Amino acid sequence: MGKSSRRLLPVSNLFLVLLAAAAALALRCPSLDRRPMHNDEAVNAIKFGQLWTGGGYKYDPNEHHGPSLYYATLAVARLTSAPDFEHVGEVKLRLITVLFGVGLIVLLPLVADGLGRRAAVWAACLTAVSPAMVFYSQYYIHEMLLVFFTFLALAAGWRYWKSRKLGWALLAGAGVGLMDATKETFVLTLAAAPLALAVNWGWDRWVDASSPAPRLPRINVKHIAAGLAVWFILWLVLFSSFFSNWPGLLDSFRTYLPWLHRAEGASPHNHPWGFYLHRLLFFHVAKGLVWSEGLIFALAVIGAYAGFARKGLANAHAGFVRFLALYSFALAAAYSFISYKTPWCILSFWHGMILLAGVGAAGLLRRIRRRLLRLTIALLLLAGVAHLAWQAWQASTTYAADGRNPYVYAQTSPDLLRLVHQVEALAQASPQGRDLLVKVMTLEGDCWPLPWYLRNLQQIRWLDRLPADPYAPVMIVSSQFHAALDEKKTHVMVGYFQLRPQVFLELYVDLGLWKDYLAKNPPKPD
Amino acid sequence: MKMTCNSLGRALALSFRLGLALVAITPLLPQCLRAAETPKDKPAASADGMVPLDIKLPAPAFKGTPKDLQVGPNVEPVSDKPRAPMMVPPGLKNIAPRSKVTCSDKNVTAENLAKLTDGDKEASDQSIIFIHKGTQWVQMDFGSPQEIFAVVIWHAHNMAKVYHDVIVQVADDADFIDNVRTVFNNDSGNSSGLGVGTDREYFETYEGKLINAKGVKARYIRFYSKGSTESALNEYTELEVWGRPAK
Repeated sequence: MGKSSRRLLPVSNLFLVLLAAAAALALRCPSLDRRPMHNDEAVNAIKFGQLWTGGGYKYDPNEHHGPSLYYATLAVARLTSAPDFEHVGEVKLRLITVLFGVGLIVLLPLVADGLGRRAAVWAACLTAVSPAMVFYSQYYIHEMLLVFFTFLALAAGWRYWKSRKLGWALLAGAGVGLMDATKETFVLTLAAAPLALAVNWGWDRWVDASSPAPRLPRINVKHIAAGLAVWFILWLVLFSSFFSNWPGLLDSFRTYLPWLHRAEGASPHNHPWGFYLHRLLFFHVAKGLVWSEGLIFALAVIGAYAGFARKGLANAHAGFVRFLALYSFALAAAYSFISYKTPWCILSFWHGMILLAGVGAAGLLRRIRRRLLRLTIALLLLAGVAHLAWQAWQASTTYAADGRNPYVYAQTSPDLLRLVHQVEALAQASPQGRDLLVKVMTLEGDCWPLPWYLRNLQQIRWLDRLPADPYAPVMIVSSQFHAALDEKKTHVMVGYFQLRPQVFLELYVDLGLWKDYLAKNPPKPD
Repeated sequence: MKMTCNSLGRALALSFRLGLALVAITPLLPQCLRAAETPKDKPAASADGMVPLDIKLPAPAFKGTPKDLQVGPNVEPVSDKPRAPMMVPPGLKNIAPRSKVTCSDKNVTAENLAKLTDGDKEASDQSIIFIHKGTQWVQMDFGSPQEIFAVVIWHAHNMAKVYHDVIVQVADDADFIDNVRTVFNNDSGNSSGLGVGTDREYFETYEGKLINAKGVKARYIRFYSKGSTESALNEYTELEVWGRPAK
């Protein structure tokens, strides 16, 4: 690889990238509280709340992923003087992941000399409007942080490759360390990247005769060691919860045992190999929309071809594009091969595809000589971008909690908010107020996200069975128990509430409390 | 003017150092920034000076991502046994098909309303009619007073759902002012304003909801509902009214 270019991005291209970042914010920020909290979001929110209110954080090797999400949220909460945890809502939490999602666009100038300047702009546009990227930017889960830190590591690694400056090695080490502290699946990225590097080097050495055979770069061991040291420091600090939980360090390795079991099939999330591609390329359920990010995939294939055939690359770096192609497709294959699948896992390889698609779009336009045809193709591409943006908007608004949305998975039903409002109204009507005793009795503890929504009530008992004495002023019970707790006429069965599709809860209220509530809440006209 | 690699690199390096510093000082921030906690209100003491024992209850156990269940006709079975037959006088007929059907939602066409009494109870899209959201009703006029012994309601039962504020009333006039009687009401919160119901909500099934009308005499009958756990819209598949002309 030659000397690093001193120019990353012309001002005009940089402006377009920043415009794409603004568009990304515009697509992601509205209606952040529209979709009810997912089970996983609520768990993360409560864990963060425990950290914030002095309860600390301990890494759980069996579930719930790494510490970075909670400490990132804590840092933002402290810096913005956020109110107490009771007044932190879904919007504030989801803004964290929105910012990381938009951060993917802000990092693009670092790889502009690898992708090509115009390709970087196209990649910015596609990152901004990809429905998967938009939808999961609004999820308070670890996935978007993992993608951001992965790109940070890759971009810093590329800059180090070009410049051999220590700072980039340190930043790459920080990126890898934060990946480690985010999600255990980072090991797949750690495996895919060197594999792609090795195959790419081999391609250059033995297959591609169009340029001189590359020599292996001189490696500065001290720089690599410094980068690894940063990774080590982050691992030490974050997994030990700032030196308060030393077993967390060992747990960061022990975690791979349960996750390997899940990967082998011991999980309710086993899906066929085409699960991710089905959602990305063509998804349609009766009476729903037709969803497809096929444009991105098609452009990614064109971009990959451009890298291998060295056609239409202009100021892009063929080796970088080939690495990206090998890395993205290898990662996609790895995720597809593992039977344990949840749809947000697509982000890791999909981001690589989006970068490749930027190369494909720029290369496609560059190779067309005829001006009118090039203009037509450009307009068609822009129409495709607009269609992706429209899908992203639909996914985030109308279909935010709808099973006909390919990205919705085990989503909390909007109907649950009716239960939450009812219980809050009962607490207001009760002399005990926030100390009203509520018993939540659910099959296998399947009650989330209720702990998040009812966090302001002080006397809630959470049970994973129907006890001998289940009675309380307010009882929320899995309908699968067939509890019939109104048989003695001491309580009213107020109704059924849908937690998730096919999962229902019953609400029972003490008869006296219910009468008080009705007296204070006369019916309102429709 | 173009951004150079060095200036961007310096900026990023500075950001990185600031980030590390932030990570280092974050644990110290709680002591600096947290406002002084306001003293907790003391619980009210009883006449003999006793106070409620304040027990902090444990947090719920954290759960992993639940299984994704797609919507479908796998309704939670209320009972494994088929519904026991209702005992009624002999010779009853379903008088719904010959009634005049009207609806509170004026956008529902006569053709759609006819689906409610065409005998098609299948859980298919073609069999369902949609009515606007909010509390809405479907009304039947039998032309003359009838003795009504049983009513069967099929809302949309193509997926597991529960309909709210299901109310069945009968009356002697079309405006439901004269001699209105409630046959069934599961609106426990009186959100539809027709009185507090004492009947239970129920899951929609292929069997429909069978309601014992006990031979009530009336010319008109109304079926109310107010959306479901799935949607704010009101949906019906079929209505049956089993009765005979009043003597």
